Amino acid sequence: MSASQSAVRSRAEAVQVSRTFDWMILFTLFTAVLGGYHIHYMLTGGDWDFWTDWKDRRLWVTVAPIVSITFPAAVQACLWWRYRLPIGATICVVALMLGEWINRYLNFWGWTYFPVNFCFPSNLIPGAIVLDVILMLGGSMTLTAVVGGLAWGLLFYPGNWPIIAPLHVPVEYNGMMMTLADLQGYHYVRTGTPEYIRMVEKGTLRTFGKDVAPVSAFFSGFVSIIIYFLWHFFGKWFAKTDFIADDEL
Amino acid sequence: MAATTESVKADAKEAPLLNKRNLFAGLMLYLVFYVWVRWYEGIYGWSAGLDSFAPEFETYWMNFLYIELVLEVLTASILWGYIWKTRDRKVMSITPREELRRHFTHWTWLVMYGWAIYWGASYFTEQDGTWHQTIVRDTDFTPSHIIEFYLAYPIYIITGVSAFLYAKTRLPTYQQGLHLMYTISVIGPFMILPNVGLNEWGHTFWFMEEIFVAPLHYGFVFFGWATLAILGVVNTEVTAISKLLKKDLA
Repeated sequence: MSASQSAVRSRAEAVQVSRTFDWMILFTLFTAVLGGYHIHYMLTGGDWDFWTDWKDRRLWVTVAPIVSITFPAAVQACLWWRYRLPIGATICVVALMLGEWINRYLNFWGWTYFPVNFCFPSNLIPGAIVLDVILMLGGSMTLTAVVGGLAWGLLFYPGNWPIIAPLHVPVEYNGMMMTLADLQGYHYVRTGTPEYIRMVEKGTLRTFGKDVAPVSAFFSGFVSIIIYFLWHFFGKWFAKTDFIADDEL
Repeated sequence: MAATTESVKADAKEAPLLNKRNLFAGLMLYLVFYVWVRWYEGIYGWSAGLDSFAPEFETYWMNFLYIELVLEVLTASILWGYIWKTRDRKVMSITPREELRRHFTHWTWLVMYGWAIYWGASYFTEQDGTWHQTIVRDTDFTPSHIIEFYLAYPIYIITGVSAFLYAKTRLPTYQQGLHLMYTISVIGPFMILPNVGLNEWGHTFWFMEEIFVAPLHYGFVFFGWATLAILGVVNTEVTAISKLLKKDLA
């Protein structure tokens, strides 16, 4: 090709071409990240995300943030460091939650008839916004990992509290004390969740509304810091543009 | 005057940079097809998909499986064969405008790849979770698996490999060798399909859906990470397109 030739015929066309590519790239990035992030999340923290009776104050609060900070950290590593776009975490989480909500409505409820107030997804948006804002204002991966990662873990439970609180109200049923969420699980029988496998609300701090949730959130934030560092470097690696020469194949 | 008329005629004949009709038709094709598939699941999952030993299971689900497998092999062979057979043997001598047009066609393929990944990895994979929490599985070929593993996954594999082949055979950008991240972004999600072998083998021992996050499923997770390699493809494309538009946007 000739370097002197132009690919477009005017500046206006160049701008239009550029904008069109922006939308095509955004769509592809959004859907591909949605698919990858969703399969990762549903198979590393899915059970805690699927059902309200798994959304307890210890393991849900611990597991969900740790496994969900992965893709946001990786995508931030590309979008911020190459394009100065402070939307890496938010775009991941919005994509994931869109995929989850579509599924819970059309499949969990639409195909297998679990009510949506039993199988709605966890809310990750507050942590994602904070993660992006810290990176944008601080411009530092270390600061984002330490402060943002900790905030990601700490904010998870408060971010879900308005949604889950009514289902954590204690009830007495057949002489046993349990949460309303546990009662939902008791009534909506799932073939893959027999009673013997139940792990929720087991432990020594299992009193209603006491120390369990904040301690779990703090631990979760601690691990999220480490996972953020790790996945930030994964993201940088995945953003490489290297070619392997034909003679090296 | 004559020259101007010729020039206008040439412009009118020239193909558009982006064929929006193809892009829209591709997106709608997958959407309409998968809406039909979901309707089929809704009807025949319950009426014929609960007992793999029942004759109606063979009629409505195993026959669906056999037909889709044949169609997928045929589609992949024809499509990949066509893209390879019609490759540009003088790809380094195309004009910048033709190169830009091909980048648009390439991005039409990539948009379709992202769209297919959504349906396969998100929609039909999580759907499988709720089906297993509802029905006791008595076969590897449950209705949700016949759609998820053997329909939605092959469709994104066929689409992804097509995008990769298009780039490799028609774009100067990809003539320097094998683009590492492009290869990973296609091979990684592809490997989810062979990983079904591990998954189903494990399920011959245990009823794993007691916990969807069981370690047996981590193979899917690992290969799912490979979708992040789309970041490397985006970076390469942005550099290539920027070079084409640079002086016009400056």
